[in-house]
Amino acid sequence: MSRPDSPTPWRLQCTVNGQAADVNVESDETLLTTLRDRLGLTGTKGSCLEGECGSCTVIVDGQAVNSCLVLSAQMQGCRVETIEGLADGDKLHILQEKFLASGAAQCGYCTPGLIMAAKVLLEQNPNPTEQEFFEGMEGNICRCTGYKSICQAIRAAAEEWQ
Amino acid sequence: MDMDEALRTRGEMGADLVPIAGGTDIVVVLNRTTTGPKHFLDLTHVTGYADLRRDNGTWRLGGGATFSQLGRLPVRALADAAMTVGGPAIRNRATIAGNLGTASPAGDGCVALLAVDAEVELTHASRGRRVIPIEQYFTGFRQSALLSDELITAVRLPADWRTAWYKIGKRGSINISLVCCAIGVSPAGGVRIAFGCVAPTVVRAKRAEAIIEKDDWSDAAIEAAAQAAMQDVSPIDDHRASASYRRAMCGVLARRLLRQLREESSQDPTGSHAR
Repeated sequence: MSRPDSPTPWRLQCTVNGQAADVNVESDETLLTTLRDRLGLTGTKGSCLEGECGSCTVIVDGQAVNSCLVLSAQMQGCRVETIEGLADGDKLHILQEKFLASGAAQCGYCTPGLIMAAKVLLEQNPNPTEQEFFEGMEGNICRCTGYKSICQAIRAAAEEWQ
Repeated sequence: MDMDEALRTRGEMGADLVPIAGGTDIVVVLNRTTTGPKHFLDLTHVTGYADLRRDNGTWRLGGGATFSQLGRLPVRALADAAMTVGGPAIRNRATIAGNLGTASPAGDGCVALLAVDAEVELTHASRGRRVIPIEQYFTGFRQSALLSDELITAVRLPADWRTAWYKIGKRGSINISLVCCAIGVSPAGGVRIAFGCVAPTVVRAKRAEAIIEKDDWSDAAIEAAAQAAMQDVSPIDDHRASASYRRAMCGVLARRLLRQLREESSQDPTGSHAR
């Protein structure tokens, strides 16, 4: 073991957007840092770094996770999905299409997190009640739009959800 | 990794490794400072650590049970408390052992457990398991009976108590308690009134409990209990709320939840605790 005041290097092997990732991380490094600074996946945004805002939301093994609050070393063998994995070449994901069509992004900083949270919500429940919709999206904050266009976009995506 | 291996590692390394599960408390600290812990014992992949099991009248919740799992339990105060914590991304990761390990006076899960006389299982690789009544578990502000070579393996709680929960926060989501209250009523009529954010630890309002247990559930007894609850707590002013507001809300919440439990009991005299 290295000195207690310095982190230990760690070899992380997991899947990111369907591709095998094999990357050296440090024992106290968050998934957010690994995605952005080591893997170049800067679509995932960090903001509050305490679980209040949801802008760093990614999907781990089918569940929404705040990437700023999990350690990369905990992701061994996990399946990680980020906003970069959604589009198929030039073809946007239905949620991305509907966010565009509804004007559901202004500054856009919260958008990747919102879309990932919405993806989990609709994967688990393509026809959510108001309460289920609220519970699925309550961890994500937008400071620009007032949410109306965001809800509209997610509802529109739900209607065409395969 | 299985639990035996996790316990052995914890026994050998002690405080040199910080146990981590959801990380929703610990990593917040890491993100704020460069002097936080660097080495961790990850419990998220420990086999069976998140299992929920019902044995006759008792729930045994593995320490790794997440708040998302707790939110589906048929123990209303705990389930409702769990669903008021964070958003789904927090609830998918945060665990009951983490809530107990942090031992914050604002630990919503801890308040719910305190209201049902839960027991905490603390386990050491060779000394084995000790079971601590929840009331003795919290020893001070963010201090607990957990030793640095033990892990919180499980929590046990009765399945047949009637319970109620209310949390006051500033908004409907990602909400940190200003004051929260859980009340449990045992089949024998025992009453537990627990509060969060009004003392250095989560606390019970014992004088208030005694009034309801001794007298009855009349309006006068409930009013007296609400008044007593305000004297049983020792809140402070902080950036979230004032001490006087918190004290007043302890009375309001005790009164509200006691009335709610009384009304539910009169509508359902069999005492079903189902949500």
